[in-house]
Amino acid sequence: MTLLAVLGLLFLTLSGVPLFVVISAAALLCFRYLGTDLSVVIIEMYRLAANPMIVALFLFALAGYILAESKASRRLVRLSTALLGGAPGGLAVVALLSCALFTALTGASGVTIVALGGILFPALTADHYRENFSLGLLTTCGSLGLLFPPSLPLIVYGMVAEANISHLFLAGLLPGLFMMALLGAYSMYQGTRFQAPGSRFRFSLKELVGALNESKWEALLPVVVLGGIFSGYLVMSEAAAVTVFYVFLVEVVIHRELRIRDLSSVIVKTVMMVGGIIVILGASLAFNSFLIDQQVPDRIFEFIQSRIESKIGFLLLLNGFLLIVGSLLDVFSALIIVVPLIVPVAANYGVDLIHLGIIFLTNLQIGYSTPPIGMSLFIASLRFEKSILQLYVASLPFLCILLAVLAVITFVPSLSLWLVP
Amino acid sequence: MTVPPLNPCRRALHHLHDFEKWVFVGLTLFLAGFALLQIILRNFFSTGFIWGDTLQRHLVLWISLLGAARATLEDKHIQVLLLPVLLPPRAARFLPYLSDGFSLAVSAILLYAAWIFVGNERAAGDLAFSGIPYWWLEFIFPVSFAMMTARFGFRLSGRLFGAKGGNP
Repeated sequence: MTLLAVLGLLFLTLSGVPLFVVISAAALLCFRYLGTDLSVVIIEMYRLAANPMIVALFLFALAGYILAESKASRRLVRLSTALLGGAPGGLAVVALLSCALFTALTGASGVTIVALGGILFPALTADHYRENFSLGLLTTCGSLGLLFPPSLPLIVYGMVAEANISHLFLAGLLPGLFMMALLGAYSMYQGTRFQAPGSRFRFSLKELVGALNESKWEALLPVVVLGGIFSGYLVMSEAAAVTVFYVFLVEVVIHRELRIRDLSSVIVKTVMMVGGIIVILGASLAFNSFLIDQQVPDRIFEFIQSRIESKIGFLLLLNGFLLIVGSLLDVFSALIIVVPLIVPVAANYGVDLIHLGIIFLTNLQIGYSTPPIGMSLFIASLRFEKSILQLYVASLPFLCILLAVLAVITFVPSLSLWLVP
Repeated sequence: MTVPPLNPCRRALHHLHDFEKWVFVGLTLFLAGFALLQIILRNFFSTGFIWGDTLQRHLVLWISLLGAARATLEDKHIQVLLLPVLLPPRAARFLPYLSDGFSLAVSAILLYAAWIFVGNERAAGDLAFSGIPYWWLEFIFPVSFAMMTARFGFRLSGRLFGAKGGNP
């Protein structure tokens, strides 16, 4: 009977039933099975209102949507091009940097490929980069930056795992920079190897000053966000409120790229996105309280431990599992569904909660561009009008690099934990 | 080119969607403004509203649940569309009926559960802050699940009876 219910819900999930509906159904079935009043499901959902991070989640998402609707992405590309465009492989590094910054600020919702890909793909092609290199770069860049603050997936992990979010922000910095450095080195190697002699770009102080002047407000944004949090003046939700205010001031009042009347549609987009995540989170709170009541994480741990004794073996298994989850689900649903089950198991193997968060996000980031159904591959295929098969081939070298980074992040915990107090 | 006039029912729905949009704008601006006010009060005047955090969290709960109801209208919920792509078109065309029918049933049960929950809370009579009972803040659960139930229902009936895009 249980097996039948599980298979039925799995079929419904893959048929396109909204995830929150499937998880709510699972929770309702479980409490019905226990003979508990169904209103318990709502009591569990209501625990959302006790979590101060939902305020930060909503406000950071709003700031990201305002930024995504403005021309901030163009200014970001101009600034990085002026800085690095002239170096070998410079434009590819520009793509890496701008995508990472943009994703950290706007979340990995595919908006990076759509907003920045449209500017960067023609620029890379014109600068004689091979088509497959450019495609692979932009596809994998679509989710680059998840490890940098104030990325929404980091906040969601902190909410679900009950981990300190400021510590997560610090922990993501070095692994994120390491990933950028390796991808940057590969891009520069490809740039010197295949780029036709002489890039179109030459370093010009005048252009740099112009670009800096144009994007000075956005360039200050990380200082506003991080300074507020780490100086101790603001708690996370307050830093998010200040970020919204700052972004509003820059894009609506100073640059005037977003009219007040456009703001209503930006707000509607944000509430639908956050609402979609929050109802999954609420339904999962109910479902997970049943699983924990039935000691499911303990049973998973016993099952795995009877086969795998070492921490290394467990981490390898975890990485494989998360890569598959990451290619099937978007990062938010994946975190909400999987984290509560894995956190107790990982704790038994002695994996640090903050380190686990960075492992999770790195895996889920890679899952975005993992064939056959990583979401970035489909978005890139639509955006650049290339076949999905070509994108599989194009992103392969980048995936190999990211997997190497994943191995280092997984087996060298100090890389993540070095900056954490 | 003339646009055919909307029938009264469609016009009412149109106004309702517009009203919903302005509710989102109002709640969001109030939330952001209130959060800023709290920062200023705390950092410059060493004061603030004790219930401020509770209010902000409930505002986000309201915004999120109403946002989920809006996502139902605009078909923006997070979903895994694997079978609709993998199955042959003849089989796949039944999946939206299944999806809407199942979602309708589950959201109706959630509405029932939310109604019982709020009823219990009302009977308990606990106060959240400033004389406001908790059940007022929690009433958003039945409201948003009712909206979702209605929207899944209209979508399914639209599919079954061929009405074009009449989702309220």
